[in-house]
Amino acid sequence: MRYLTFLLALSTLSAQDAGITRADWPHYGGTQFSWRYSGLDQVNTSNVRNLLPAWIFQTGDYTENLGSTPIVADGVMYLISAGARVFALDAAKGTLIWQYRYPTARPGIAGSHSDFIQNRGVAVGDGKVIFGTKDNFMVALDQKTGHEVWKVSVDDPKQCGCNITAAPLIVKDKVIVGGNGGDQAHRGYLTAFYTKTGRMAWRWYVVPAKGEKGNETWKGDSWRFGGGAPWLTGSFDPDLNLVYWGTGNAAADFYDADRVAAGTNKGKDVNLYTASVVALDADTGKLKWHFQEVPDDQWDYDSAYEVLLMDRQIRGQMRKVLVHMNKSGLTFVLDRATGEFLSSFNVPEISNWMTGVTEDGKLVGRNEPELGKTKNFCPSTAGAKSWNSTAYSPRTGFLYVPAIELCMDITPNDTKASEGHFFMNGDFPSRLPPNRSTYSHVDAWDPVTGKRVWSVPYKYVLLSSVLATGGDLVFTGDPEGNFFALNARTGDKLWSFQTGAGHRGAAISYSVNGRQFIAATTGFQQTVVGGAIIGLFPEESFRGGSTLVVFALPEGSR
Amino acid sequence: MKRGLLLLALAAAGGAQNLPDVLKQGETVFNKSCATGYCHGARGTGGGAPRIAARGFDQAFIANTVLRGVPATAMPAFGATLSRSDVTAVVAYVASLNGVTGPARINAPAAKLSGDAARGRDLFSDAVRSFGRCSTCHEVGGLGIAIATPIAKVPADAAALKALATPQVSTVTIGSDSMPALVVSQKANAVIFYDLTSAPPVLRTEAPAAIQTRDGSTWRHSSVTGSYNDAEASAILTYLRAVVKP
Repeated sequence: MRYLTFLLALSTLSAQDAGITRADWPHYGGTQFSWRYSGLDQVNTSNVRNLLPAWIFQTGDYTENLGSTPIVADGVMYLISAGARVFALDAAKGTLIWQYRYPTARPGIAGSHSDFIQNRGVAVGDGKVIFGTKDNFMVALDQKTGHEVWKVSVDDPKQCGCNITAAPLIVKDKVIVGGNGGDQAHRGYLTAFYTKTGRMAWRWYVVPAKGEKGNETWKGDSWRFGGGAPWLTGSFDPDLNLVYWGTGNAAADFYDADRVAAGTNKGKDVNLYTASVVALDADTGKLKWHFQEVPDDQWDYDSAYEVLLMDRQIRGQMRKVLVHMNKSGLTFVLDRATGEFLSSFNVPEISNWMTGVTEDGKLVGRNEPELGKTKNFCPSTAGAKSWNSTAYSPRTGFLYVPAIELCMDITPNDTKASEGHFFMNGDFPSRLPPNRSTYSHVDAWDPVTGKRVWSVPYKYVLLSSVLATGGDLVFTGDPEGNFFALNARTGDKLWSFQTGAGHRGAAISYSVNGRQFIAATTGFQQTVVGGAIIGLFPEESFRGGSTLVVFALPEGSR
Repeated sequence: MKRGLLLLALAAAGGAQNLPDVLKQGETVFNKSCATGYCHGARGTGGGAPRIAARGFDQAFIANTVLRGVPATAMPAFGATLSRSDVTAVVAYVASLNGVTGPARINAPAAKLSGDAARGRDLFSDAVRSFGRCSTCHEVGGLGIAIATPIAKVPADAAALKALATPQVSTVTIGSDSMPALVVSQKANAVIFYDLTSAPPVLRTEAPAAIQTRDGSTWRHSSVTGSYNDAEASAILTYLRAVVKP
């Protein structure tokens, strides 16, 4: 097994290099391939039990959680809090180099996404630290001083009810960002800006306008408020010059009669390009191909999640593939040059919204919400995984998934769209599935065989990103505050540390002067999914906060 | 279609109260409704809820928060529980804790618009036009981004709109890159300006030594109004005439 993995590793060296971080953690997903995999192995299965906190940093911003992924470049860490305070820290010691405080945000529409205080990270490139804001600005700071260099309004939150919570992605001379707002009467888009000047380079609307290809998959004028917000961070393949992004659910979320014409065949391409993976030309933003994972999404199973790029042997042939999971837990393996469907697997143990996927990637046995009825569906809109990311290790070849087992009761309604206002058209309270005592699990999946290799159950709901490392370790945190390490090959728990607050963000690994660090964001977020989880487990108190805890092996012990 | 159109009205203007009286009333309301230890504390210095003094809040933000509350937090919507006069006063008071003095501006119901003006309002902020819509640079009736100075005088017709003189736009040169610019502030250590090269405008901060500024530019208003035909422009002007008070 080890020998085979080694051979595989050799044959895919270039793609592997593109996915592995070393001393730095340059992008939201580690590299532009979004593996969240650090090649560092100083901390490994034999010594992880000795990990201790090396330094701790409190952002002082306790209005919400710390849900962001830090960036590390040349020994400096760049960290953003939920309310957009940005810090440059000495990554070895935690001492402050500079800080920036975003001024009070413009008001949006009460009760819409524009009210959510969340920030998932900065992007660093071209000498700048770049981030999106609650009130829809993109802001670039000087990487050395923290002073504003440019700032541009991406949309009017008072009109769109939308905002930016995703970390942007640096792609060559541009920075690309998606927006929130797919649960509002809003039309989602990706926007690329030149890092140098802040000038817009291109915008790609998820929902095509009248006269554009794909618009015919929308009923009447429904495309204008069709949702599809690509609200997380995508990936980039420099060889193909393609940017990959997952797109959100169609709006209205739970009621389709106003956006899908009666009698539409729901097998393929309904309400394009929502709930899809898309490949765009990095220079122009032009659509190269698309693959819709949930045609006519009526469950809020949007596909906005991370896109992992890897080269793998599929049916005897080395293929450039991407692996992409959506909220339903269906995980697709596609040829990333063409969008060709190769295979899929379904992560949750409980799933009742469809019965399977055909050999050409189409859903069968759809079980849809119905107006005037309340029906139970699994998984819930929290997802078979929430927005926190999976990780992939090229050493094991496994995808590590923080999976959730929850259901929901959907009661649709037929409320009409009102621009920028909530447009979910349904109630959808989360429900604990019966006859279970655990509601999530960390899994290792082989994306080629579609088999689950190991699974470690957890009592409540895991909502933090996974980090995989060259030391054959898998790290993540739970809402009770435990940050822990599993053996990447077996799932055995090797180490755990109580950090004092629940986990909703991410862990990263980096090194400074040869010392490997593992940094974990702590502070349980209440907005949306976090709040729903708290409601399901009233006996627990998942603690908030906004603290970064950074671990290393004690000096001199290595 | 219901729009989130909020007309900012000078609620205290023309009223019987002067500003000190409004602030006094606001302090009374604040002490009664907002200042308990569970919440924002005396003079908004913070308690169980966040500090709200010296946070840089403006009146529009405060009014919105007071009227609507903050969902998923303990901050209630006071719009239904406080009188309009008390809301006006408490907004002015909290604004004063944030260094903003002046009569409170709070949300008032939108005025009824004629058919043509209503169409003009929708066109003004028509999202389908992306950054080709007026609201990319103009804030009117609570919608849009206030990049241009407030519209004081409405052009007579579509031709006048296109031909609008824009003497406030100057030319900034950074190295070999010259751009039309709206200078916002010039200080010893930084020049802040909107780069109007393309939409949306970019607010840029540059060291004075790095740039050259000269009056005038080749930029024309007609270069950004192209998404509208003359009939659409006329409807927008009808809307502006209905809501812009000289």
